[in-house]
This record gives sequence, structure tokens and C-alpha cells, in this order.
Amino acid sequence: MREILLVRYGEVFLKGQNRPFFLRKLVDHVKDATREVGGKVWLSDGRIYVSDFNDIDEAMRRVSRVFGVHSVSRAIEMDKGDFEAICRQAAELMRPLKGTFKVLARRSDKHYPLDSPAIMRQAGGHVLHNVPGLEVDVNNPDHVLMIEIRDHAYLSVGRIEGVNGMPMGTNGKACLLLSGGIDSPVAGFMIAKRGVELCCVHYHSFPYTSERAKEKVLDLARILSEYCGKMRVYVVPFTEIQMEIHEKCPDNLTTLIMRRYMMRIAEIFARKDGAQALITGESIGQVASQTMEALGCTDEVVGMPIFRPLIGMDKSEIIERAEKIGTMETSSLPYEDCCTVFTPKHPATHPRKDIVRKAEEKLDSEALIAAAVEGTEVIELG
Amino acid sequence: MIYLDNSATTRPFDSVIEVTVRSMSEAYFNASAAYKPALDVEKEMRACRKAIAMEVGAAEDEVLFTSGGTEGDNLAILGVAQTLREKANFVCSEIEHPAVLETIRRVEKLGHEVRVMPIGPDGVVDLAACAELIDEKTAFVSCMQVSNETGAIQPVEEIARIARAKNADVIVHVDGVQGFMRVPMHMGKMGVDLYALSAHKIHGPKGVGALVVKKRVRLAAQMTGGGQEKNLRSGTYNSAGILALHAAVKEMAARRAEVAALGAMKAHLWQRLCGVAGVRVNGPMPGDAASAPHILSLSFDGVRGEVMRNALEGAGILVSTGSACASHKQKVSTSLRAMGLTQEQADGTIRVSLGLHNRMEEMDAAADQMIRMFALLSKYKRR
Repeated sequence: MREILLVRYGEVFLKGQNRPFFLRKLVDHVKDATREVGGKVWLSDGRIYVSDFNDIDEAMRRVSRVFGVHSVSRAIEMDKGDFEAICRQAAELMRPLKGTFKVLARRSDKHYPLDSPAIMRQAGGHVLHNVPGLEVDVNNPDHVLMIEIRDHAYLSVGRIEGVNGMPMGTNGKACLLLSGGIDSPVAGFMIAKRGVELCCVHYHSFPYTSERAKEKVLDLARILSEYCGKMRVYVVPFTEIQMEIHEKCPDNLTTLIMRRYMMRIAEIFARKDGAQALITGESIGQVASQTMEALGCTDEVVGMPIFRPLIGMDKSEIIERAEKIGTMETSSLPYEDCCTVFTPKHPATHPRKDIVRKAEEKLDSEALIAAAVEGTEVIELG
Repeated sequence: MIYLDNSATTRPFDSVIEVTVRSMSEAYFNASAAYKPALDVEKEMRACRKAIAMEVGAAEDEVLFTSGGTEGDNLAILGVAQTLREKANFVCSEIEHPAVLETIRRVEKLGHEVRVMPIGPDGVVDLAACAELIDEKTAFVSCMQVSNETGAIQPVEEIARIARAKNADVIVHVDGVQGFMRVPMHMGKMGVDLYALSAHKIHGPKGVGALVVKKRVRLAAQMTGGGQEKNLRSGTYNSAGILALHAAVKEMAARRAEVAALGAMKAHLWQRLCGVAGVRVNGPMPGDAASAPHILSLSFDGVRGEVMRNALEGAGILVSTGSACASHKQKVSTSLRAMGLTQEQADGTIRVSLGLHNRMEEMDAAADQMIRMFALLSKYKRR
């Protein structure tokens, strides 16, 4: 008898002929996630099992963060031969609990002498008679005791929800425009959750932003990499471009033109890194550069899809997500990110593409972009 | 690299490093133990007490070792508050370090009243207002010796005199972290009862300091245990730190002329900058009697202090915005706002602070970079 983790997966189930590919990826990621806590991981009978870890809580936390995992339970694995022992163990598991309960049973070993209803009845009866303070409620119980009969018997109470999604690396790669704010890490998370690998581009405006501001962004990237593994962060020196724009372009268009440059440079690094799309944290109408016209203006300079998973979300919803993912606290640190010194007082909210293109003509785009790419610092995380 | 953030912390003297290594490798004994090597450590610690006492006009047995300025301030304020039988009022200036301001807020919970002395546009406590605030129910007055943000020397002697005239039993506490050994202090003559100091601001190590407690003061211990420091501060002596603090005090004393000469360096730096339109000094002008020799607060019109700080870092010059503690939280300095600066002016402030490792040439190099960066950054102001 030993304690193990029982890991259920979600959407991978829906896959057809290529399900083994998805499952292999998922198992690999569970292995990666538990490597430091010493877990042994295997796939059997529609479940992933983790055993031999040295810290069960930490192992559980890590596994629950693997994309593709639906839920995780602590379970007792024991010999299925002695049903009385199983009942005794069930009572032990339930002893600390109060309130109502029911027993659910599942039997994949169809030769087992008891069928599922019998298992439920007998184990439930044993618990009810031996654990004071518990009552049966099959409709809306406080606790569910799960008994599964497979190669062994598995007993578990309760579960923690996983992050769901698809196994990392099953859906290509995209490049996230990562600032120090609340939105972009959430946007990156949402796309990564669909099994998309990430790389990040960050624009650094020294001296308008400090070394600490850059470190904050890297901290955010580290939190993301806890979910999505290894990633590369490109830190692009952006001050020169901002100053040129500030000097040569009309005030009301500076932010928009700056966004267009960010997109252009991100596309260069995306292609370099094998990514097929860009990700931004834009939400419609949140600020002047995120109106529909403005989004149209930034779209036209990029030759790959731009994913904006937050597009229909309110700020409060985004914050809720950020708190859940664990990026909120870092995002709220006070270091300046995109230099407010350059934000115009009255940015255009309904920019026209032809006017923006015309305004940009004064800039030596090629040279500016080449210099920024040349000066970029590449940081490997995870 | 040119290091001009000595009010955040200083680089230890070589003598300090040597003593630290020696006391860790050889003189590592618990100073409270009975054998001779431990006694030798205790004797060296006593020499440190004596050296500090000499510097601040107190007696050797009035020096109590702490972990630094914050602990000293906590022990002084809470230690006095907890011995009071009747409700009283506590007075401090509005520009105190958080170690005092946050701690004095805690005495409110004990039922005492807290009153805050305003400062004038020169960054110095307004004595007229102070005389009105302090009354016969004032049990405790706290004022820093030197403002960590502007380098303004505070009139602690006058404040002590005003307070004592109202209530002979009042306890006067001075946070001397930025003043110790850079601005004179004589507790006896100036009427100061409690004086907190820290080693790492005078080229000593971090994590050690002292609270000098005049004999008339009754304190309640904030840390209980083995009964060290006359039961006022339990805990095994940080002998390596204390011996290193002694080395720092000795070297600072031996180089007193150089400390005074910091004022000339500061004046030179300002000399180079004063002709540039849009650059201002906050607090007393260099050379003024109320200006400490080592701290200079500068405002650059229209350029945020943070941006200037970053730009100077890029040029190899380390300064801070406002004060290091404040810049970490990135809130606007309350001291600068108290002096009547607008939000924008306070935002545009950096603090230059000097130590004994600085040289006159560095002032020129720093001035050159400040002028260059100011010109560059002013060009790209928000329109």
C-alpha cells in the first residue's frame, strides 16, 4: 500500500487517431514537472499515475500546473484482492471528515467479484458504521470517496483542479509581446494553455525604464515558464526608436507608430524562433492604441496572425485571471514599463491608415529596426 | 564606476574588512564566556563603547550595541513608551526616517498622542511651530540629526531646549544615522538622551550599530533572553560587527579632516551645476551652516529623478532618487513635498551622497554627465 497521485486529463480524450501523440507529450510534461520532487510517472488505463515523490503537496501543485491536466487526486494504491482491507482503508480515509458523503466506484477489471454498485454499497456501509459524524447523501454530498478497481485498487477523496488545456508543444509556437503590465502575461498564458510554445519579446527603454523594470519582466516570464517550460526572451533596446518617433512624428500618432514598430520587430524575432503568430494583451477599447481602428493600423504591418486572447475581456476579468495564474503580484510592482514620458496627451483614437503611413515616412525604418535587432539581448529561461 | 550613494550605504574601509576577518577567524569567542580569549573580545568591545562615547559626548557604559539604526530607533521609542504610567504625547518631525515614523505610530496604540513638527522650505524643522506643539505633557521628542533626503542639519539642541523648558522630564531622541561622525554631536551639551547610530553609514559593516542611552532614561527591553547589555538587548554579541564598527569609528576619527573636506567636494559639484538653468538644490545650499557635508539633493526641471538616475547609471554613476528606501517603493518623497516642492519638482529629484572613498575628480565627472544627460533628456520631454 502506498500513496500516489492520480492525474486525470481532459480534452486529450477527444482526440482520435493521434491521441497517443498528445498523451506522450502530456506524460513527458508531467515527468518534467515532477523531476525535482523525484516522481515516477506512468500512463495506464486512461490515467496518469505519479509515485515515489518526496513531497506530495509540491508534487500535486506542480502536476496541477501542467497544461492538459484536468484534475489531480491523492490516492491510496493497494492490493485489490482483500475487499475487507479496502473497506477498512476507506474508513481511515474518511475519519477526519465531517458532514455528508457518498462512494463512487469504477471497475475496469470486469473479472472483479464485486460489480460497481456492490462496491459502493458495501464500502459505503462500512464507512457509515465505522466513522461517526458522517451521513450519506447521494445527491449533494460534501465528500466523494472514489474507489477504482484496476490492476490495483485506488482510493481517493477530493481532487484539485488542473489548468486544463492541451499538452505543451502540440500546437506550434507563438511570440508574446511581454510588458511589465497585468495583461500580457495573462494573454501569453491563455495561448500557451492551448499547447502553444512561447517565446517573448520585451521592449526596454533605458534610461526611461530601469534595470529593475527589466528584471520584473523576466520574473513574469519565469512565472509563465513554470507552466510552459523553456522559453527565450528577447530584450530589445527601444529608446532610440521612441526618440525618433517623438521627434519626427505628430504627437497624436506617436503611441500608434510605436506599436507598429513593436509589431514589426516582434515578427522578426518570431520568425527567427520558429513562431507562427504573435500574441498581445490587447483588449478592445482599453486604451487609445486598442480601439478598433488602432488595432487595424497595427495589424497591417505584420505578415502573420496576431492572437489577442483578452480582446473581449474586462480589466477586472483579466486581473482575476492574473491572480489565478500568479502573475498579479509581480505585475503590480511599481517599476515603470512603457515610458509614460513619451505618451502624448491626446492620442488619436480613430487613426486613419493612410495618415499613419504618411507620418511614418519621415523615419528611417530599416536602419532603426536593424539597430534595435542588433542590440537585442537574448535570455534563456526554464 | 563612481559611487555617489553613500547615504544608502558605504563601502567598508579596508581596516574594517581586516578586523572582520580577524575576528571571525581568530577572535570568534562568545564575549560572555568565562575564559580569557572571550574576555579579550569583551575588552575590545569595551574599547568600541569608549570610542563611540567619546564621539557623542556620553559615557562608555551608556553605549548599547544594536543591529543598526532601525533597532535603535525602535528600542528608544517603544522602550520609553512602555515605561510611561500616564498618557502623554510624543513629538517627532514630519521628515523622520520610517524607522521613527512607523514606530512612533505604534505608541498611539498604547494610548499616547503623536504630534508632528512641520519643516520649513529650507528642510529644517520650524522651531516656532515646534514650540507650540510641545507642552508639559510631552514625554518624548524625536528629531533626526541630518535629513537623509536633503542633508539639512536639524536644530536638535534648540528643540531639546524648548522641550525641556516645558517639561524637565522629557526624553529627547535623535536618529543620528546620517549624522554620526559627519556632523558634531555632544549629547551632554546638546541635551540629547537617546542617540541611534549605524555602522554601515560610516564605512563599517551592515547589521550593527548602537543606541546611546543617557543614565536618566528608563527603557523597557524589546528583546528578552540571555540578558546581555544590562538586560536591555539580549542576544549573543555580534562581536565581529562590533569590532568592525570600532575600526570604522577609529578610521573616521583619524580622517576627520577628510570628512570635513566632503563639504568642499559637494560645493564643487554644485558649483559646476549652478550655472545650468533648471537645476536646483533642495534644502540648505552647500556651504550653509545647516548643510551636512555629504548629502546634496538636486532637482532637474522636467526630468523625472528616476530617469536621471537610470541615465547616470548608464554612464557609470550611481545615485539614488529621493532616498533609497523611498525609491524602492517609488512613492513621492514626503520630505520634499513637506518643503513645499510641487509633485513634479519632487519627482525630478536625485540624491547625491558622498563618502570617504570619493575624490574631487569624480565630482567633475559626475557634473559633466549630469549636464549632458539633463540636456539630452530635456529634449524629449512630454509635450
